[in-house]
Amino acid sequence: MRGPGLNEALSWPRVVAWGWFYQLKMQAQSGFMLMTAVIQPLIFASIAMADQQAGNHGLPILYYALGAGIMGIWSTVVFGCGGALSWQRHQGTLEPLVMVPAPFVLVLMGITLGTATVGLYSMGATLLWAAVVFRAHVQMADPYLFTLGAVMTVVSLGLLGLVMGSSFVLYRNSNAISNMIEYPVWLVTGLLVPLSLLPGWSHPLAYALAPTWGVEALRSAAFGGQPLPAIGWCLLASLVYLAVGVWLVGVVERRARQTATLNFQ
Amino acid sequence: MSAAAEVAPPLRPGGHFWRVFLIGGLISYRALFYWITPWQYIPTMLAAPTFQILFFVYLGRAAGVGSTAFFVVGNCIQICSMSGIYGMTMAISNERFFQTLSPILATPSDRLAVFLGRGLPVLISGFQTCCFGFLVSALILGFRPAPAELPQLLLAVLVTSASCTGFGMALGSVGLRVRDVFLIANIAYFAVLLVCGVEVPLHQLPLPLRVLAQILPLTHGIAAGRLLAAGQGGAAPMVDVLLEGLVGICWATAAYLLFRYFERSGRRSGAFDRL
Repeated sequence: MRGPGLNEALSWPRVVAWGWFYQLKMQAQSGFMLMTAVIQPLIFASIAMADQQAGNHGLPILYYALGAGIMGIWSTVVFGCGGALSWQRHQGTLEPLVMVPAPFVLVLMGITLGTATVGLYSMGATLLWAAVVFRAHVQMADPYLFTLGAVMTVVSLGLLGLVMGSSFVLYRNSNAISNMIEYPVWLVTGLLVPLSLLPGWSHPLAYALAPTWGVEALRSAAFGGQPLPAIGWCLLASLVYLAVGVWLVGVVERRARQTATLNFQ
Repeated sequence: MSAAAEVAPPLRPGGHFWRVFLIGGLISYRALFYWITPWQYIPTMLAAPTFQILFFVYLGRAAGVGSTAFFVVGNCIQICSMSGIYGMTMAISNERFFQTLSPILATPSDRLAVFLGRGLPVLISGFQTCCFGFLVSALILGFRPAPAELPQLLLAVLVTSASCTGFGMALGSVGLRVRDVFLIANIAYFAVLLVCGVEVPLHQLPLPLRVLAQILPLTHGIAAGRLLAAGQGGAAPMVDVLLEGLVGICWATAAYLLFRYFERSGRRSGAFDRL
């Protein structure tokens, strides 16, 4: 029998877990999210793979399949998490969520992690597409570390979504930012274009963004490299995003309470 | 003021058509195009297409396929479809979303003027976006089209913007009936990247996609643009421009017929604005 201490200790993870579960259920039924997580990555994967076949065959098809998969996760994070608070506000559920005794940051964390998890569809879809349509040899050198890398990628992108969700709420036209930042992050994090081809000034930006380490971890696990350092960087990035996200959510919540602007659209 | 003075003067024949076409079109654009404010327009219609151009130029370099000009011309012309596809979808189907479709269809205004008027600002916006893309590509990527063919290149861009607008009109008309037309618009916007020879040389595509490309906007306009940018003027690119225009006219006609069909069926069922 569990005592009250254990119950209390489990309450925070429980809030996140249920938030994650319900968000996953809701997003899985959203046509827009399925388009973002499945159809769009398949189109980009097809473009990259067809270009590879027409070009110098310098990089294997699987390289592009993994990159396009993370592109899909990033898109779901950008549109799903970037607008998470705005969406709650639009639906009229933001005030009740802030009012409940559970810390608001945990509620938001469940939402952003759930959204990032939907992005995993894109990884499955692009790998299947590569195998079936482009006859790629899809076999992971280390399936366990690949799975660990995929989980860490989703967690780190979800926590990056927490940062975005809480900062975008201050900007009325957050959807315009979402439209704008999809391509640059795909580019600078080396999802389809190797970092070595990009100008040197973009590299520090790439190192600060979780997709860079996520795709590095997955490619290392797939091609027989050393994925653990990249997974470690993903973990570190997640902790930094978590700290920044907690701080930002606190600032936004406090300001919205003081100025009574929580529900302004 | 006498009562007689308050009565509007009789309209010249045809004057009403042009007023609805020009002023009505402009008002509907201002009311229904989400991205019209600078805070939306700059990130969505200028910055995002610029990043798109850069992304695909670098992807092409990584894959070792095509030249920088191949991707610059393809993407610069393709980005007009952002205005054509999304803009027209908003300009037509948002009437239903905002529940203003019934009042509009209750007016005696010429339907063709109502319909086509919405296309003109969208066409201009698409043309602007393309020109901006070329300008940015010249500044960042050192893209230099053949100066002698520049007027024809601009003509190709204008005609392609018009044909994308026609295609967007068709999607917008579908939006008078289907529930989530923006999902279709999103898929269409990304699908043309693959199918119309924007990022992948057409001969690399399987036959069904090559056939589909012939009836979609952009394919012929981009082919013409690439020839003209490389300094290969003459009849070949102009044939492509004509084909692009023809494709646009076909899509616009189909869109108008769909619009009238949904109007008639909406009148019969009394369900114009049903969401």
